[in-house]
Amino acid sequence: MKGHLTVAVIVALCLGLFCSFPSMNNQAQAQAKAAPAKKAAPVSSAGKITVLNPLGTPPPIKLKDMAPRMDTLDGKTIYIVDDGFVGGINLLQEMVVWFNANYPKTTIVLKRKGGQGFDSEDPQLWAEIKEKANAVIIGMGH
Amino acid sequence: MPGLRIQYFRGPVWGKTNEQIRKMIVEGNNPITGRPVVQELVEKLTKPLTAEEKKTGELKPPMGPATYTGTPDELQKLFLDNRYTDFMPVILPTEEKVAEMLKGTSHKPEEPLGKMNPQSEAGETWSYTVKTAAINAVMAGAKPEYLPVILAIGASGQEGISVSDNGFMSGAVINGPIRDEIKLAYEIGAVGPFAQANTTIGRAWNLLSINGANCGKIGTTYMGTVGNPMNAINIIIAENERDSPFKPLSVRRGYKEGENVITLFRGWGILSAANWKADAWRNDMNYAQIIKDICDQQGSMHGCIAVLSPPIANFVKEAGYDTAEKFTEFVRQPVSVPTTDALNRIYQIAGDVVRPQGTGLAAAPAGPAAGAGRGAAPAGPATGAAPAGAPPAGARAGGPAGGGRGGAGGGRGGFGGGGINFSVVVTGASNNNYWMMGGMAPGAAIQIDKWR
Repeated sequence: MKGHLTVAVIVALCLGLFCSFPSMNNQAQAQAKAAPAKKAAPVSSAGKITVLNPLGTPPPIKLKDMAPRMDTLDGKTIYIVDDGFVGGINLLQEMVVWFNANYPKTTIVLKRKGGQGFDSEDPQLWAEIKEKANAVIIGMGH
Repeated sequence: MPGLRIQYFRGPVWGKTNEQIRKMIVEGNNPITGRPVVQELVEKLTKPLTAEEKKTGELKPPMGPATYTGTPDELQKLFLDNRYTDFMPVILPTEEKVAEMLKGTSHKPEEPLGKMNPQSEAGETWSYTVKTAAINAVMAGAKPEYLPVILAIGASGQEGISVSDNGFMSGAVINGPIRDEIKLAYEIGAVGPFAQANTTIGRAWNLLSINGANCGKIGTTYMGTVGNPMNAINIIIAENERDSPFKPLSVRRGYKEGENVITLFRGWGILSAANWKADAWRNDMNYAQIIKDICDQQGSMHGCIAVLSPPIANFVKEAGYDTAEKFTEFVRQPVSVPTTDALNRIYQIAGDVVRPQGTGLAAAPAGPAAGAGRGAAPAGPATGAAPAGAPPAGARAGGPAGGGRGGAGGGRGGFGGGGINFSVVVTGASNNNYWMMGGMAPGAAIQIDKWR
């Protein structure tokens, strides 16, 4: 039992499909690139026409507080979570091996996320992580 | 959480052994930075947050002005540069053209129409109005009378272009008198770009997805490894209800005959049946069995769809399947022909001692297509002699899960279990015995008339 969560780090291991996972990327920046703000030119002159912007409306993006980082991994508990895509568990198992060999004072817990889809929630696991973990690494993609 | 720390590990990992994963990925370097990935991972856990990462509040992405003014050439370039297009020139959406388009519906321009994202978890869900759809319909070259169909699609929220690296495509089947009203093609070239309605409705779907929901942006919302040519205009299929021996798809899904309904699909796409079953063209054809054989090769993820021309549909009917439901029941029967995948597993189990030379499948038992005459529906598996040491016939196709394709035990597909989802649609002309097949699963069915 770790008491309360001191660090909530979520590192997405992007293994292909969502290597630029938009909801985790700065989508606003991406969109800004795609649709740079321009000043409207409402005054028409010969040969010019005015057309409508075809874009829909993105949701506002709320910036959540990021948890402070840990100064050391020694004595900490890190959960590693598999989202269930084919082969992901093999990679995460190898990461456990790596952490055990290189950070022997760190406790690594490997878990498989519940639910039917890659993006489905697993409230029970999230609660367990909040209670017991100092950090979590979530493997996503394939 | 835009500031979420992400560590990229070079994939794909599936298909690799743990040793390969360890050496090539875990102990490897980030291909972009050249630094050890695990070191970067540890730093992401321990490096203090930057000022940027500590920011809170709300981000509002800049969306540009409500209008743009310029010469047509300048605006075409601006739309292309801003990625408002599908890389083809568009009809520029002036206020006048959009107003004309909006005459195709009684709904108010500012009425919320729907929400869409590049498919589930892959990005934010954007929202759009009837006017947004009308603007994109103009850009696609659609006519006002097509707008109710486009609005019905938009209301569904199904993206035209999925983010998936699989390269999914979208399709739709349209039933009802609107097919003739707006001149959708359902004879020669029915699923191709040979009518303005089919072509521009499919294109409008894509443009609405690109602009209304930020789909199809490589690097953020599109990852198709190889891509899919059917993403160009999707597949808009009007059923040939006049020449089909079966009830329209919409009626089979519970709508009344004569209702205008669009049924949305998503999947891998469709191909000529000849691409699925080698040497399928002979004088003596058991079409029903051939269709089943092809479906038996499909994974369960998107199921199987048969897009039949009227002659093929009538062959199926003459074979004893006078309703689509009876034919579906036949197709969903347990696999009767071992596939390459199933046979390879059998050979593996048998210790590889019986694998034939050459193709690897030369010893495959005669399939029912060769053995059964036209119209005969085999009552059960006809797998022929199994190689020595092979598991019982009932376990062959589905792997350890017990006969269901795509089962957790390594059956084909590997994306789920249970019987395959089979759809049959009739369209096209009667000038020859050709048809298309593929993997596309039906989703929402929507009444079109409420969007008039």
